[in-house]
Amino acid sequence: MKRVITALLAVCLTIAASVASEAAITAVRVGSDIKRVSYNSAIWKKAKFSDILLYPQTTIKMNDEKANGLNAENSVIRARAAAIYNGRDIAFMVRWPDDTVSVQRGDSLTSYPDGFAIMFAMDYSNPYKLPYIGMGSEGRPVVIHLQKAVRPFYEPNGHGDVYMQMNRNQTELFGKSLLRFDKRVKKLGSSDYERSFVSEGFRSMTEIKDGSNRSYARLSYRNKAWTGTLSCPMSDDYVNLHAGAIPVAFAVWDGAKMGRGGLKNLSGWLSVKLEDSAEGDMLINALDERSPGNPSVGKVAVAINGCAGCHQIESSDTPNFMGPALSNIGGYATEAYIRESLVDPSAVVVPGHNRNAHSAYKWYTEEGGRRVSTMTDYSKLDEKTINDIVAYLQTLKAKEE
Amino acid sequence: MSKRQLAMVIDLNKCIGCQTCTVACKTQWTNRNGREYMYWNNVETYPGTGYPKNWMELGGGFDTAGDLQPGIIPNLETDYGVPWDYNYDALLHGGSFEPNVEPTWGPNWDEDEGAGVFPQDNYFFYLPRICNHCTNPGCLSACPRDAIFKREEDGVVLVDLDRCQGYRYCIAGCPYKKIYFNPKISKSEKCILCFPRIEQGLPPACAQQCVGRTRFVGFLDDKDSQVYKLVHEYKVALGLRTDYGTQPNVYYVPPTESPAKFDANGKIIEGSTRLPIGELEKLFGENVHHAIRTLRSEMKKRQETGESELMDLLIAYQHQDMFRLDNNYYRKVAKDKGGYALAPVDTRYIAGKYTKESHTLYFTEDRDDDIKRHRK
Repeated sequence: MKRVITALLAVCLTIAASVASEAAITAVRVGSDIKRVSYNSAIWKKAKFSDILLYPQTTIKMNDEKANGLNAENSVIRARAAAIYNGRDIAFMVRWPDDTVSVQRGDSLTSYPDGFAIMFAMDYSNPYKLPYIGMGSEGRPVVIHLQKAVRPFYEPNGHGDVYMQMNRNQTELFGKSLLRFDKRVKKLGSSDYERSFVSEGFRSMTEIKDGSNRSYARLSYRNKAWTGTLSCPMSDDYVNLHAGAIPVAFAVWDGAKMGRGGLKNLSGWLSVKLEDSAEGDMLINALDERSPGNPSVGKVAVAINGCAGCHQIESSDTPNFMGPALSNIGGYATEAYIRESLVDPSAVVVPGHNRNAHSAYKWYTEEGGRRVSTMTDYSKLDEKTINDIVAYLQTLKAKEE
Repeated sequence: MSKRQLAMVIDLNKCIGCQTCTVACKTQWTNRNGREYMYWNNVETYPGTGYPKNWMELGGGFDTAGDLQPGIIPNLETDYGVPWDYNYDALLHGGSFEPNVEPTWGPNWDEDEGAGVFPQDNYFFYLPRICNHCTNPGCLSACPRDAIFKREEDGVVLVDLDRCQGYRYCIAGCPYKKIYFNPKISKSEKCILCFPRIEQGLPPACAQQCVGRTRFVGFLDDKDSQVYKLVHEYKVALGLRTDYGTQPNVYYVPPTESPAKFDANGKIIEGSTRLPIGELEKLFGENVHHAIRTLRSEMKKRQETGESELMDLLIAYQHQDMFRLDNNYYRKVAKDKGGYALAPVDTRYIAGKYTKESHTLYFTEDRDDDIKRHRK
């Protein structure tokens, strides 16, 4: 009997692999220069827009009581995304609904900006071992471009201009010279909160400040929606996007809900097909893969195997700190990632809380400089059960409003 | 836990609430853009609302199981108060003297109010507060970006401004609310224990300027330091709200003496004391009883015999005796690091694994070369 099932499974898998899935986004090739493409560039008329779904980040619970309250009932955000490229540069547009405009101000301690980010995998040669969606993982780095709605603010780092950081009333200046001082301070204020980062997991995220990358991001609010655009080279020191299809992930922040690091909506890895290439099916299929298992059988298996001992399975479960919460795992993780985490828990150790934040719940140990997950290795389960569990976990995601 | 730990002891029996420490810190560090509302050092009246308002009720810290507790980020308008200034310029042209914003709240808004009924049983004392440079910092544990670090060499807790992205979880995580958000640069900033001074053998500005000689500074493992003697030997200096579980490294000699209460006719109630011991227990824990007993018995001993090392220590005949900063230690640390100063950035991330050189190299490379590069 078992052999029959295995054979059947093999057939199913072959069929799944032979039927090419649709890419989440099809990038349209254009002839013109898109280095400084913006939200109002006419070239977007040529682009093909697709719907993408952005799930609330619930893997880790942050420690801001007010923000947690505001974000407790978050649902899926349906956004529109498109991509264009010309062989040298690639540009993305993402348009997502937001009822309120939140701009971070320089005179408030409790204002948070709306914004968006686009993430690329530095190595996607094996689409079954992509970086962890939460900003990469050890040995699987990602590059992130971030644009937030922030009023001009003063950036002292890099300038070292201590005098200009002085309170205007404490300068020896009066009248016109004081106005000149104000002007200079304003000029030093950076007006555009655009950042690029390299990251092997949230904690390790490091800003690229040495000018070794180039990008151009823009943000605009119209008709109760934000439109963000990003243009960057298809290949630089960090990424090489010359391929049939590339994995890209999007995230958006809602300042009205005190959104910032850790409090956001994000997509899973989405396949972006470059239209003039015949390749890329492997990546597109990998990102689209559904486990052949039975979700309702998987739900029972999850209960039997005691997953809830460490993981919050549904958002209504008791909060815990040990394993990453799984309530949206089906939204932003690939089939391959969930499977890998089951059978090889140490392959990606989610770079979650500071271990000291919940010192009684160590979700990993360090052995020879390598993080070893404290999760049981479930490769001991038979393949059918694993398929069922993965199928069930793929159903765990927030609903659309 | 760091290899060594710098600590401060503040003698509350001697603090007169003059705010010289506050001013010393403000002029040294927090008079710049975006820091106006910050008081890395403040002296609040206890009982009182404190700064920010009701900070003890804003969460953060750890429970007994060691789990970081959620907290609330205070608001500038209502919890700190928008700093105001006056229109000095206008006075030259005959204008009237006006604040630029209507003052509605600020530090020490309730200074000297205290609790109780005047004149029967009113009371208060001063509580100077800086960052506690905790052994188990709530701010550090809350930061999802590893932007806060505790220096191995002396336990000073610093924000790596290069890594900080202004999420403000640290503020929720600190039970003392001694880490502040700078809205102008969108980064968190806090007391740095005047590390540039300390590395040169100078005490922090607040301690140096204290006219009441209330502040001792030294390494907790240095058995010759007053800090060691007060904290570990005599056990008269206690951490503030240690129930928050962060293991603070600023210690307080609790106020021992307070006047007697008056009855309705204005007569002294013999044997009474205005300062409720319960309040001291709340702030300094059970050990406050032992500390007060020791202080009283040493005071008595001093009165009777003229001898008491503890009293001599607390009197602080020579101001410089209050500080043992071991400049040679910092020189040795610098030498071990190849002649470089201790970096005010987290050296784990000087350059990201995949990023190339960044300006943070300024703190580790040969300074002369680097300054040249900056001037280019």
